[in-house]
Amino acid sequence: MEYSPEVKRRLKLPERAGLMPDPASPFVMGDAEDRSLNVWVRFQVQLHDGTIGAVRFEAYGCPHFVAAADWHAERLEGCPSGALAEPDTRAVRDVLDVPTEKFGKLLVIENALVACATEVAA
Amino acid sequence: MTTRDVYLDYAATTPVDPAVAEAMAQCLGRDGDFANPSSAHCFGQAAAHRVEKARTQIAERIGASADSIIITSGATESDNLALQGVMHACRERGDHLITARTEHKAVLDTAAALERQGFEVTYLDCASDGLIDPDALATAITDATVLVSIMHLNNETGVIQDLAVLGERCRRHGVLLHADAAQSIGKVGVNVAEWPVDLLSLTAHKVYGPKGVGALYVRPGVPLVPLMFGGEQERALRPGTLPVHQIVGMGRAYEIADPAVEAPRLAALKERLWAGLSGIDGARRNGHAERCSPHVLNITFPGVNGESLRLAIAEIAVSAGSACNAETPESSHVLSAMGLSDALAESTLRLSLGRYTTVEEIDYVVGRITAEANRLRGLSVSAPAWCRS
Repeated sequence: MEYSPEVKRRLKLPERAGLMPDPASPFVMGDAEDRSLNVWVRFQVQLHDGTIGAVRFEAYGCPHFVAAADWHAERLEGCPSGALAEPDTRAVRDVLDVPTEKFGKLLVIENALVACATEVAA
Repeated sequence: MTTRDVYLDYAATTPVDPAVAEAMAQCLGRDGDFANPSSAHCFGQAAAHRVEKARTQIAERIGASADSIIITSGATESDNLALQGVMHACRERGDHLITARTEHKAVLDTAAALERQGFEVTYLDCASDGLIDPDALATAITDATVLVSIMHLNNETGVIQDLAVLGERCRRHGVLLHADAAQSIGKVGVNVAEWPVDLLSLTAHKVYGPKGVGALYVRPGVPLVPLMFGGEQERALRPGTLPVHQIVGMGRAYEIADPAVEAPRLAALKERLWAGLSGIDGARRNGHAERCSPHVLNITFPGVNGESLRLAIAEIAVSAGSACNAETPESSHVLSAMGLSDALAESTLRLSLGRYTTVEEIDYVVGRITAEANRLRGLSVSAPAWCRS
């Protein structure tokens, strides 16, 4: 399996991995998993006046999966909360050079972010 | 920590030993024994002499006579020749083959091809420690059974089957036994003079010999038909010009590969490796604790994705399971047969040690895998239980 430098960098140092640094500040949370693909992910997202603040994630999966979760977390910070409902899966696929057989894992990440959006709407 | 390259994938292949390379070089140039060994002239006869010496070296390593050794391109071809050659040769007698779910693809895919040709195949389960139950084998044998094919030393787990006992069950029922011993040479003793084994697949490249050459031991009298046609070489069972330098390399490699010399050192290194890695929370060793190779360690780290771990320690050459399966996304069929879930199978590394592995390398690997396994596990502390079970 070949990995892009971006995947290697994000697996080695996933800057937004972990739990919310300030749990006292309210945040929404969304999980998704696919046991057949052997992946699980959870996002924690802080919101300030309709804008996404800090984003943190936990992920169990292959290097592309972890890197994709980290990429989404980074990209979402500072975006309007509506961005949670429309994750740019095509962009992350291209940036990380994700192989075709792993596209399904990216949809699991999308599901977790949409779950966050659903919680925001609620 | 400064990283360093470490090769711990000797079960996938080995570098050629310098003594082997030197012997091979003597058969390549115009001043060497390069000629076609089937030629009657003096050049050809010199090459033929080299081939026969190598054949003897191969035979002596497994307790066989030289005339029972058929040169092939490797263990995959040997497995094909053994299974297809015997089943077709004995079709009048029966059409039933027995093998195990933990076999190498070279056997499983050949068995599947035989099924498509109308043969019946039974796939034996194994216990959670990887061992085949001799009674289950005996129960599976029918009047139509011709051949049983069981790997001696499993390439993924290192589990060693008791060929003496399994072969005795076969003999009792008048059934032939084939064994793939590609991983065995130089690590454990192999003796077909004492074992009730009728065919044995061998290769050079797992034993510090060249790639592209192997052999099939065939006990005298075992019926076998060829898969290829076009010459009288190897008693017409494997036609084609003999690659003298490859065969000489294999012979020299087998001469050097003495398990009495190598196994104790490898076993000590493996135990040092396991002692270090067992400190990782939840780490489990797969395969029978005693009936195992001195050079293969198969470990599961629950909650740590194996692919991510392999990339995180990219400077260390390890395998997910069989190198032959490395490009396919499916989890190991061997570990699945032993009862591991897909999640656990995908959290597994095969580390295989060899002639050039050092204590310093083992200690470095323990440190790196421990650090990275713990770091990766920290990325998913809230993950559901199925990720760890």
